[in-house]
Amino acid sequence: MRCSLAVATLAIGLAAAARAAAPAAPAAPVRAAADSCLSCHATLKDERLRKPAELATSDIHHAQGITCAGCHGGDPAATDSSAAMDPRKGFVGVFAPRAIPEMCGSCHSNAAYMLRYAPNIPTDQLSQYRTSKHGLALAKGATDVAVCSSCHGAHGVRPPSDARSPVYPTRVVETCARCHADVALMNRYGIKGNEVEEYKKSVHYAALMEKNDLSAPTCKSCHGAHGATPPGVDSVANVCGTCHVSQLEKFDQSPHKDAFAALQQPACEACHSNHAIGQPQDSWIGVADKQVCGACHSAGDAGATAATAISGALASTVAAEASVGARVARVKRAGMLMDAADVKLEDAHQAYIMATVEIHTAIPARVEKQTATALADTSAADKDAAAAEKEIRYRRTGLFVSLVVIAIAMVTLAFKVRSMER
Amino acid sequence: MRALDKLWHALDERFELEPIVEFVTHKVVPRHRHSWAYYFGGLTLFFFLVQVATGILLLLYYRPTAEAAFESVQFIVTRVPFGWLVRSVHSWSANLMILSAFAHMFSVYFMGSYAKPRELTWWTGFALLGLAMGFGFSGYLLPWNTLSYFATRVGTDMVSKVPFAGAWLLKFLRGGNEVTGATLTRFFGFHVAVLPMLTTLLLGVHLALIQRQGMHVPVSLEEEAKKRKPIRFVPNFMLREGVVWLLGLAALAALAAFFPWELGTKADPFASAPAGIKPEWYFLFVFETLKLLPAHLFGIEGELLGLGAFAAGGLVWFLVPVLDRGRPGGGRGRTFFVLGWLVLAYIVGFTFASFAGVFK
Repeated sequence: MRCSLAVATLAIGLAAAARAAAPAAPAAPVRAAADSCLSCHATLKDERLRKPAELATSDIHHAQGITCAGCHGGDPAATDSSAAMDPRKGFVGVFAPRAIPEMCGSCHSNAAYMLRYAPNIPTDQLSQYRTSKHGLALAKGATDVAVCSSCHGAHGVRPPSDARSPVYPTRVVETCARCHADVALMNRYGIKGNEVEEYKKSVHYAALMEKNDLSAPTCKSCHGAHGATPPGVDSVANVCGTCHVSQLEKFDQSPHKDAFAALQQPACEACHSNHAIGQPQDSWIGVADKQVCGACHSAGDAGATAATAISGALASTVAAEASVGARVARVKRAGMLMDAADVKLEDAHQAYIMATVEIHTAIPARVEKQTATALADTSAADKDAAAAEKEIRYRRTGLFVSLVVIAIAMVTLAFKVRSMER
Repeated sequence: MRALDKLWHALDERFELEPIVEFVTHKVVPRHRHSWAYYFGGLTLFFFLVQVATGILLLLYYRPTAEAAFESVQFIVTRVPFGWLVRSVHSWSANLMILSAFAHMFSVYFMGSYAKPRELTWWTGFALLGLAMGFGFSGYLLPWNTLSYFATRVGTDMVSKVPFAGAWLLKFLRGGNEVTGATLTRFFGFHVAVLPMLTTLLLGVHLALIQRQGMHVPVSLEEEAKKRKPIRFVPNFMLREGVVWLLGLAALAALAAFFPWELGTKADPFASAPAGIKPEWYFLFVFETLKLLPAHLFGIEGELLGLGAFAAGGLVWFLVPVLDRGRPGGGRGRTFFVLGWLVLAYIVGFTFASFAGVFK
């Protein structure tokens, strides 16, 4: 963030003083016949002053005809630098951090104006930003918090759908990390600073980066983008439930819902943690050491009994799937076509997945109903495998009998030939 | 017996069968240390007959459309009584037939049996091998599984390299620009109608020529063959051939029972090609050679050059009865003898190397 701020700060020049007030909502920009800002800055030796002109070519605003003057004011038609950068013509060289959201919002909050460029673009970014932790801190006078340019860049701004944009799903984590991995900075705000590091251990990050699943949640999916704020205890379930709809529905039916609310426990997070969300394991269920139920329940209580029942039902399904799966695979290796058994095993696995969703009700009977279905399917697949094994034995017996008959015929013929040729 | 005699006399009177019986009873097969080579032709014929029989049985259930082909083969191997056996025997027998045909061709080649007056027998045999490979190529697609689909796509694509007529040939084979249900129907037509008709015709000529001209004895074995008593064709050679056929049958039964032919997964034209697509083993030496060639060689597309070289090699092989003028003292020319071993080593070497994964 500080880096981006530096870019923003050094972007145009050092001459003008910061102004807190935003420029008036602009009229539709007209592409200047000659843009002296670009032509002049492109030739400057000082990289800090030349860079914005170079970046302008890849900037979405520039592509839409919004010149440097659209944000910085001044007179792009003037060939003289003092006339072009005349404060009397609204020129602002460097924006103070507090001025940036207002300046960007002067267009981006204007629905009628934005309609000309992107009819479906939201125009509530600024109002969301004002409610965010960043916006609130900025309003209190903090200067080391994120503003628009911290995430989107000051010059060379690309649309979020552009894979080169710093807010593109696969890049946004690193963008947030620029500040949120800075432990010293984060500690000033009561944040640990290890959140990104933790997130990178999660299944979400693995889905995003290894499977290139752009729908996988990033920082902004749970915290919000412009209104970035940690979800409160009450809203954690709703945040996770945005994607995990079935799990939320089951959780709402569970005795845990009210209990967690009473205990001020963040719903999903209590068992799954927050940033370092790993692949859930059946072995988590129980009250023993390193098992999640043990945080509230202890051996012998109703919760522990329910956990044992759920854990047992899941374990028996997993064991059945593994043993029948291995038997079917063995039969397949012997050359038998086992498509029907494969479908049954797939059904069994689906029922197992459903059982793992039912866990969120914390009601053993609901889980056992699904595991019973899974066990019935594995049993059916097992019968298919047994029938196939019987068929293999039948075929091999048949082959043995055939080979004996063929061998007798061959020997008989050989003797016949021999006797004839003697 | 009197009734049978009467029937025989009635038939003989009308069709003059006595000379045929006379010919068959007096027909002999020379005996020498390489007489074993004479059994390969018969063995190939046996596998062909198995193909005809099992092919007809498969036809009862097979449906040649992209929507139903895979499912019908699946039905054959899972639901039809002994369908698995028939399908497996058909697939294994096809491969053993090609193997046996290759053995037959090379034994004939090395004994120099292609030389005058048996040129036409060699040429019809050459054409029969080509037809057998055509059977293999067209039949490979019929189960409409992923591997066969993509192998056919690669295989038919090679045809497009033929100068001038390539695009037309590709369209003719595929029934369009892509391998689709139209290709399947077309290949089915080739497999069960066109190729069997041509094969039956050529096989008839091939067998008739052999009966007419008798078995060839190489010059180097003539002395030995003269000294040893020949084998009477009926019944001695036929019974011996019977033993070989039974051996072939036993091999087929064992292979079908222990290694049922895989069906794979249904072809999905929109899926990306799976890794490790390979044609049937008897096309591997061509396939791997073409893969080894650079994209361009001497300014010509490498694949085109390779296919041209194979076509030229095939032509030389076809014309060997004319090109090989023999040695002054009798017998075949040394050049062609050495060439035969080189070709055999090349085909066997590349095929085995491909199976061993050398070209990966």
